[in-house]
Amino acid sequence: MDILVCVKQVPDDFVEVHLDPATQAPATAEIERVANAFDTYAVELAVRYCEANGGTVTAACIGPETAKNALKNLIAVGVNKAYLFNAEDLAAGDDGAKAGYLAQVVKTCEEKSGVHFGLVLCGKESTDEIRGQVGAMLAEKMGLPFVSSVIEVAPNGDGLIAKQETEDGIATYETASPAVYTIAKPGYDPRYPSIKSKMAARKAEIPVLTAADAGLSAVESVVTCTSYTEPPKREAGLLIQEKVAADAVAKAMAVMKQDNAL
Amino acid sequence: MSYILSEESRDLLQDVRNFCQNELKEQVKEYDESGEWPRELYEKAIEMQLHMLDVPEQFGGLGLDRITCAALIEQIAIADAGMAVTLSGNGLALKPVLISGNDEQKKKCCDIIINGGFGCFALTEPNAGSDPAGGKTTAVRDGNDYILNGRKCFITSAEVADFFVVTATTNKELGGTKGMSAFLVYKGTPGLSVGNHEKKMGIRTSITSDVVLDDVRVPAENMIGAENTGFITAMKTLDLARINCAVVATGVAQRCIDEAVEYGRQRKQFGKPILANQALAFKVADMRIRTEASRSLIAQALNTADAGLPFSDLGSCAKAFAGDAVQQNAIDAVQILGGYGFSREYPVEKLYRDAKIFSIFEGTNEIQRVVISRSTIGKL
Amino acid sequence: MKVLAYIEVKEGKAINGSLEILTPAAALGEATAVMVGTGLDEAAAQVAAYGVPVTLVETEAASCDELTAALQAQIAAVDPDVVLMSGTQTAKDLAPRLAARLNTGCVTDATVVEVVDGAVAYTRPAFGGTVLEHLTMGSARPQFATLRSGSYSKPEQGAAAAVTKTSVEIPSDAIRAKLVEVTKDISEAVNLEGADVIVTAGRGMGSAEELHLVNELAELLGAEIGATRPVIEEGWMSRAHQVGQSGKIVAPKLYIACGVSGAMQHISGAMGSKYIVAISKDESAPIFEYANVGIVGDVKVILPLLIEEIRKLK
Repeated sequence: MDILVCVKQVPDDFVEVHLDPATQAPATAEIERVANAFDTYAVELAVRYCEANGGTVTAACIGPETAKNALKNLIAVGVNKAYLFNAEDLAAGDDGAKAGYLAQVVKTCEEKSGVHFGLVLCGKESTDEIRGQVGAMLAEKMGLPFVSSVIEVAPNGDGLIAKQETEDGIATYETASPAVYTIAKPGYDPRYPSIKSKMAARKAEIPVLTAADAGLSAVESVVTCTSYTEPPKREAGLLIQEKVAADAVAKAMAVMKQDNAL
Repeated sequence: MSYILSEESRDLLQDVRNFCQNELKEQVKEYDESGEWPRELYEKAIEMQLHMLDVPEQFGGLGLDRITCAALIEQIAIADAGMAVTLSGNGLALKPVLISGNDEQKKKCCDIIINGGFGCFALTEPNAGSDPAGGKTTAVRDGNDYILNGRKCFITSAEVADFFVVTATTNKELGGTKGMSAFLVYKGTPGLSVGNHEKKMGIRTSITSDVVLDDVRVPAENMIGAENTGFITAMKTLDLARINCAVVATGVAQRCIDEAVEYGRQRKQFGKPILANQALAFKVADMRIRTEASRSLIAQALNTADAGLPFSDLGSCAKAFAGDAVQQNAIDAVQILGGYGFSREYPVEKLYRDAKIFSIFEGTNEIQRVVISRSTIGKL
Repeated sequence: MKVLAYIEVKEGKAINGSLEILTPAAALGEATAVMVGTGLDEAAAQVAAYGVPVTLVETEAASCDELTAALQAQIAAVDPDVVLMSGTQTAKDLAPRLAARLNTGCVTDATVVEVVDGAVAYTRPAFGGTVLEHLTMGSARPQFATLRSGSYSKPEQGAAAAVTKTSVEIPSDAIRAKLVEVTKDISEAVNLEGADVIVTAGRGMGSAEELHLVNELAELLGAEIGATRPVIEEGWMSRAHQVGQSGKIVAPKLYIACGVSGAMQHISGAMGSKYIVAISKDESAPIFEYANVGIVGDVKVILPLLIEEIRKLK
């Protein structure tokens, strides 16, 4: 089966994001871009699926020219082909618009590579805005079966079996193929590229398509952001540092009693 | 704070750095504590191909230049010196074969390493350390074979090795330097056994053992190079290995800086970070100077080797300097962390133990100074 | 303005998060609630007690596809301006799907829903909680939003409203992902969202063997037990205990973080706590920037002493 994974670059989520005092927008320009963690899980799951059952993995990314390197890094860990859709306005819309564009991107990738994807994967959420709705919306726009937070996929005749991580266990779903799944953290980590595969991947050609090249038609946004603010910062309280642990505990107890915290 | 690298190499370096930081750095602690060989960590490193940096491209290697390899090994050493010694130790075992061996031998040994195996270089003996020519191991011709007898010690990775490069005296009359030959002995050869591994002060994630040769019968075609040229092969091997030793030392020296800076920026005494005191800040500056100077000497030695010029004494300069530098950095890092530097809960205590080996193995720093002074002063 | 609140049920009772959304629903305008499933009479009465009329769709709907279809039918019947849901895993599937199906918009994880200048305004945290986004969906109808639990208190109970029963026919072609098996691998009931006190273990606890200290303190305080992601990944506790971005967002009165350094991922899930006590041996641990009381020290030494002192109080 041929699998398409939708991937996105996000600001490194180890870095705290704050508002730019001048623009009052999140100051993310200086933060290093990394592959969205859940997308890398989706890639690893897809590659493992194809290693076990045959098929190819294609990655598609809407993003700036600089995302090319990130796509090469995916090729180093088993992705066969990658397409970059480079158009600012594609990335600017709300999640419904992004899903609308992705539905067209899936078609374009099928036309360019001449395969029909049996499965389209997205990370369950991105670590920047953490909205977690593009996958569900994409499934609706494409009219395909949908399962979220999937951690395991197996073939099932002409269709698929997906195991979904729930709050207290696992829900198993059967769907036809093609389908759209979002991927949570499976029981394994994404692989590191070997040095050889990394060196080979650096030479890979990544087609870069504009909205016009791909024949994408505009999709309207519904949700608009009127402003950003920062939440009121919690005041740091008392930090107790005592040589003798019992003194520290006594001090802490006194403060907690005074604050009626217990 | 690294060598001057191509974009491609920088990209690789970033991957290797991520791997070492995420998959090795914290994980090695328990193995350092227990002394167990971290097989599962090595398996991960092998998957990344960090064990085959010395395999030439024509034999299936990666085709990386020497400076890039040094930068990558430094990253392993930043995470853990013992693993860097082991992974680059494959290179140490491979070097005599690549220097003097035939294509068949090269291919066989390279294949073993590519497939995740290990090699070891067995030169040192209980009574022949700094003076390898004094070795007592012998190889006696018997028809188409040689019969090896003797005992080697402090052999890195012997317990896990698939091939052993063993030096032995083939001509007693010519003496150690002119009558020594090198042999390839494969794991499982009757008479070849590996003793218990040493309980070491540092680099505890590497495994170091005695090798015992008791009437080990080795076919003559396993001789590396011509008969009685083993000593030259060994010396040429050490010329290169020394630089690698400096590279690993530099990684540990860098880790000392990283830990001292991280701690010293956060630790507040008298109302300010302790590194706001010049007495400690200058210690960090000196650590940096030593580390950068080590890298410069390494680059100089490697570039000289690449240019095909004699580099033996430059390698010794790099090894002696980096070997001294890492110890001083470790002393300084422990001092900056104070009581926490002395505690096993914090990482610099391990660095202090790891640092010591670099003035001892691959030729003590005294021996390096013998090489350097001889080449500088000339015959007296 | 017509607001439809989707109420989820767990073990026969409406979940807390769902009851919380009745507060903003009523504040926005004319609120009604919808519940889907069978055997929910008691739960429906529980919701109606808050003075919000309930429509009980008595249709067996275990899978997301069935729920989506049932809600789609109810939305068509009510024609609401706004549909609110509690931010559960199920709702985070339902809301965006319905929004896409109806060509409208959806905001997930909102913490505030209010009317500003005649339009509904949504506030939601982004980037792990360091930035708040203020969003609107203009004239699009209906607007969908899931709310983060703990953002609102449950409303006061008023005169009980009516419960109306209905049912919908779910067309068989609506079920495209067939639920074939549900397994529970986590049997313990962990109610982090509803807890008044939470004692959380971080990697600084050192090992699973040391967790008895956290258990002891939690038992003493009648607290639920939380954990950070590393603790879950080490396998010391089941993921039902996870607090943080990828776990539960909590808002207890008292939150005691034991050996937690305070990665942004974790802090963003605990920031809503009224009072935070943190114990860590790392004096520069970020958790101290959020703690009302921070104790620098080894949890293994501090916790037994703290337990002893609190026991004296009781």
